[in-house]
Amino acid sequence: MSEYFLRQEDLPRFLQSLMAAVPVVGPVAKKNHFVFQKLSSPEELRLDYDVSLLPPKKAIFPQTQRLLDFSPNGPKSCIAPREQVLFGVHFYDIKAIDMLDHLFSENVADQNYLANRHATTIVGSSIQKISDRAFWGSVGKNTQPKGHDAFLTKISGGFHFKALTEKGEKLTSHGQFSKASDAQSKEAKQVNEEILGKCPQRLQHSAEQIAQKVRASFKNEKLWDELAEKCFSCGSCNIACSTCYCFDVQDKWNLDQKSGHRTRTWDACLTEDFAKVSLGAGGATENFREKRSHRFRHRVMRKTAYLNDKLGGPACVGCGRCSEGCVPDIADPVKIINKIMES
Amino acid sequence: MASKEMNENVFMPKEAEILRIEQATPTERRFSLKLRDGATLDYQPGQMLELSLFGYGEIPIGFASSPTRKHGFDVVVRTVGRVSSAINRLEKGQSVWVRGPLGNGFDLKQMRGQDVLIVAGGIGLCPTRSLIQYILDRREEFKRFILFFGAKTPKDHIFPEDIDAWRKSKDVEYHETVDKADPDWKGNVGVITKLFGKTQLSPQTRVVVCGPPIMYKFVMLELEKLHIPPNQIFLDLERRMKCGIGKCGHCQMNEKYVCMDGPVFAYDQIRNLEEAFG
Ligand code: SF4
Ligand code: SF4
Ligand code: FES
Repeated sequence: MSEYFLRQEDLPRFLQSLMAAVPVVGPVAKKNHFVFQKLSSPEELRLDYDVSLLPPKKAIFPQTQRLLDFSPNGPKSCIAPREQVLFGVHFYDIKAIDMLDHLFSENVADQNYLANRHATTIVGSSIQKISDRAFWGSVGKNTQPKGHDAFLTKISGGFHFKALTEKGEKLTSHGQFSKASDAQSKEAKQVNEEILGKCPQRLQHSAEQIAQKVRASFKNEKLWDELAEKCFSCGSCNIACSTCYCFDVQDKWNLDQKSGHRTRTWDACLTEDFAKVSLGAGGATENFREKRSHRFRHRVMRKTAYLNDKLGGPACVGCGRCSEGCVPDIADPVKIINKIMES
Repeated sequence: MASKEMNENVFMPKEAEILRIEQATPTERRFSLKLRDGATLDYQPGQMLELSLFGYGEIPIGFASSPTRKHGFDVVVRTVGRVSSAINRLEKGQSVWVRGPLGNGFDLKQMRGQDVLIVAGGIGLCPTRSLIQYILDRREEFKRFILFFGAKTPKDHIFPEDIDAWRKSKDVEYHETVDKADPDWKGNVGVITKLFGKTQLSPQTRVVVCGPPIMYKFVMLELEKLHIPPNQIFLDLERRMKCGIGKCGHCQMNEKYVCMDGPVFAYDQIRNLEEAFG
């Protein structure tokens, strides 16, 4: 596939044309944060965002998703994907979406996710500002971002646009793209390489070393008690996460009390009831992860060890959203991992 | 990808008619079900399904009958929450919705031609009944068949006719106990592990264990004493489940998923899993 150049001043017209053809979801400013949402004008797009509040996976795997509609006539599937372009995704979030692609297709394929995914064209973008808590430069170095359709890099005078798939290639028909010169392609490559060294936070060990040590520390109760001491089981570290994909399934009635829908909602393994079952009369329950330190441990295991065989690396991409979202500031994987490595 | 396949929804259940209901205990009801479209559910003993009622939700449940019985399939629903309470208010002829079969059942290949012991505690008898019926229906394929059942009280006997039949049957060596007797009870009283004193077991025996979480540790100790190796022991485990297809994360036990890798596990697969036995 080919590499192109788009002048800075031609970006708005490109977006305008694209938005006329298909909904475009991208990073926009909201109060003092950035969020991914459907663009209503090209000017809204903020390619200089550092990190979005919620990860862009929500455009494919929404916080609440209808699975089935039901009525007295029976259930109906709600799979009805809408074409969209997910624009301006940083490489770490591209990695995360690629992980979800794998996890939702392995064994039993879940078309509630996959149909949305297939209808989505992903355009990545280079990182122009770095969030304070980011550590994507040092995490899971063996997994490369893939699965996206094109990648946009800010270079002198405009953007380098690399088309990676047919879908990505087609986007260029919406703008004044010219072939990128060798110098421009070289500059883009350099921009994306250099940024990796600029993260404020770093892991000191390889993914394999971390996976091994963390898994081997499972029974170190004292360590987990210390790490989770201030945790109040709010689940924010899960909800903010780029790679978390646990969900709950619930039925909701419509106002008529005859029809309704079965929906799934993001769930969080840090919350108290996540693994709790009712056993019988009198409210007897069994909570398979009763202690908050055990729930805390489960998240760390999932991010650093449990899924590595399936994914070829850790299920953490270093976005730092969990670190930012945790009120007592104990969810930061860099601090957690460094402490475990020293234990 | 074909468009039909692309739109197939793994959460879409099938409609099943309630053929029969029995109030097994004050909190448990036994349902015989049949798919409305006339199809048979192609399941193995030990597998599960998601049972649901629209507007209330889904609950995971083990098949309580064997696929060798062609009338349909049985499940036992204990009233514990919103969904199960709603289902337990239904009547014969009404519909429930089912999604499955899910997970891995019992490894029948490992059991054929061998002595089989089933240790069932409380409602652990429901999912194991799928295997009990299977063995009784194909009795010649197995050697000795021993069944231990422990209930809280004689009133908690979920399948009284079955139990009556097993007591009399020559096809199964049936031993039972209750934690607490009532005046009519003439049998054993005490924990289920006491039943190990009632019979001789060869180290070749294939063992299936299903019961409340607390039971496993004690039964494993007994089996160790009998020198029955871990790869001959199968545990049918329960966890919270939502999706049943290895995605939602609720059933996870370290890196394993009870809904996909289980609910039946060989003991050697999970004995080093810290979260398997709490
Ligand atoms: S965000 Fe922090 S306090 Fe909340 S569950 Fe996660 S670790 Fe605990
Ligand atoms: S664990 Fe934290 S840093 Fe890692 S992907 Fe999730 S939110 Fe980002
Ligand atoms: S029940 Fe959802 S992963 Fe097992």
